[in-house]
Amino acid sequence: MNAKLAGRLGDAASYFFMIAMFVFFAGPLAWMLSLALRDKREIFLGMSRFIPKYPTIDNFISVFENSFFPTYLWNGLKLACLSGIGVLIVALPAAYAFSRFNFRGKGVSMMALLAVQMISPLVLMVPLYRYFKWLGALNDNFGLDTHFGVIMVYIALSVPFASWLLKGSIDAIPRSLDEAAMIDGCNRFAVFWRIILPLSGPGVASVFIITVIAGWSQFLVPFVLLSKTDLLPIAVGIFQFQGMQNASSTQLLAAACLISVVPAIVAFLLLQRLILGSLTAGAVKG
Amino acid sequence: MTATTMEGSRSLRETWFQRRFAGAPLPWLLPVIVVIGLFYLYPVLEVIRLSFTDSTLNKDGNYTLFSIVTALSSPQLPGVLLASVEFVGGSIVGQQLLGLALALVVIRGERRKLFGTTVLRTTALVAWVVPGIAGGIIWQMLFSEAPFGGLNSMLRLIHIAPVAWLSDPNIAPWSTVLSNIWRGTAFSMVVMYAALKAIDPVLYEAAEVDGASGSQQLRFITLPQLRMAILVNMILITVQTMNTFDAIISLTGGGPGRATEVIALYAYYTVFRNYDLSSGSVISVLMLVISMGLALAYAVFLPRETES
Repeated sequence: MNAKLAGRLGDAASYFFMIAMFVFFAGPLAWMLSLALRDKREIFLGMSRFIPKYPTIDNFISVFENSFFPTYLWNGLKLACLSGIGVLIVALPAAYAFSRFNFRGKGVSMMALLAVQMISPLVLMVPLYRYFKWLGALNDNFGLDTHFGVIMVYIALSVPFASWLLKGSIDAIPRSLDEAAMIDGCNRFAVFWRIILPLSGPGVASVFIITVIAGWSQFLVPFVLLSKTDLLPIAVGIFQFQGMQNASSTQLLAAACLISVVPAIVAFLLLQRLILGSLTAGAVKG
Repeated sequence: MTATTMEGSRSLRETWFQRRFAGAPLPWLLPVIVVIGLFYLYPVLEVIRLSFTDSTLNKDGNYTLFSIVTALSSPQLPGVLLASVEFVGGSIVGQQLLGLALALVVIRGERRKLFGTTVLRTTALVAWVVPGIAGGIIWQMLFSEAPFGGLNSMLRLIHIAPVAWLSDPNIAPWSTVLSNIWRGTAFSMVVMYAALKAIDPVLYEAAEVDGASGSQQLRFITLPQLRMAILVNMILITVQTMNTFDAIISLTGGGPGRATEVIALYAYYTVFRNYDLSSGSVISVLMLVISMGLALAYAVFLPRETES
């Protein structure tokens, strides 16, 4: 009886904490939505008009009519997806080698991959800016103000993490399958292509989607490497947009912000189980 | 006969091919080696080299030790370090405590089938997915001191005087910490959740038999078992927070004054606003040393791969 009462009290305390936390995490997003749906007059009513009386989608329309916004969105999607593919091309073979070969310095090189991931991207961007400026002097297509440079840096930033995650999912494929295929006459390329790749599907998919979400959110790299407006991805686009707004156009900023946030959230929600599964599988084993 | 000969020569060629290329790890690792070399190793060496020069962003300079002295004795540096320590320290404490509390409540909620557990977990994760720039803008709209500012208009509803969230140099650092906790806590929650799930349930059963209360179980089983996970988590939060750039530049831009100018922002402004490449490189090397120290700590405490 006593234990039951304690359980009830515990549940009440849990609910109280859960509600407070829900308000903390959902509140800011709800506030952005509330502002984005208001017209100019209702903005000045603040929190007292949390649910707009005259909701409008005019703000979204005028953001899209801003000539550069569709371009920003397209650039953001393009950079994110191409870097997702690039990361797989670079990290998959390495993950296979880390999983299936035994070689001297394997542990050290995997640790080195973890270590470089901790380097601040800002530290890397200082020399990379000069690097791409130099490349651009050799060839216009590879220097500053090209998507090529941005994609290469996105790939580089995601490769260490992707190699670790993919190694984990290849480790989970039984080695006996490799051996059976080799006895049947497959070489290592064929094993990789016919056995490893199809069976590490979930790992590949989550690396791709995590890289795409990270690329969509990436700000510093394009901010440093790109200056032409028609090349900017969405994250830099809304930052520039923020700089152009004033107090009387907060509703437009909120709408623009919402447009940039929704694709990342939707992609995450659709694949939440997959992403979290692969993240926690390798993260904390002990 | 001909078929078997062809078969034989084909497998012979494959063996040669396999032995030559695919049988050794190096060809498989080559793309990663190239990427790490070009985008991590080269920049790191270059940034160290530049810190020993007097280069500007547009002009290569001569070798000198003078830049290191100037950058490290800059009157702005102590303030920047203090702002960074406040930002990182506040975020570590907040995210670790809140992340652990959330993980505990989510696990309890799952066990007792409480309503809304999944919703809460998902909401926290959604905040985590929000791009840094957007997060900064969202919190700026909340902290805004204009009549429509979210928090101040709420305070006005309950007749409390408005707070200068972003314009008071004593309050602004804690406002940025709050916004960072909002975005970062879900990561801690995930790590803590996985670590809690990994605790052997037998320990709790034994404690139950011995008549340990809930708080005793938390203190004598859960927390000691989580020690490693907490340590690793705090190192990772430190690295992530120290590298945070986008969420601050869109929230405060480093202001008011320099109250929220953390080290990443300072390095950026030094190089790309003042064109002072050499001082910026010195600051970058300083950041590098801190993150490599943390990486070393991480490597020491990481659960050993061989055990599994």
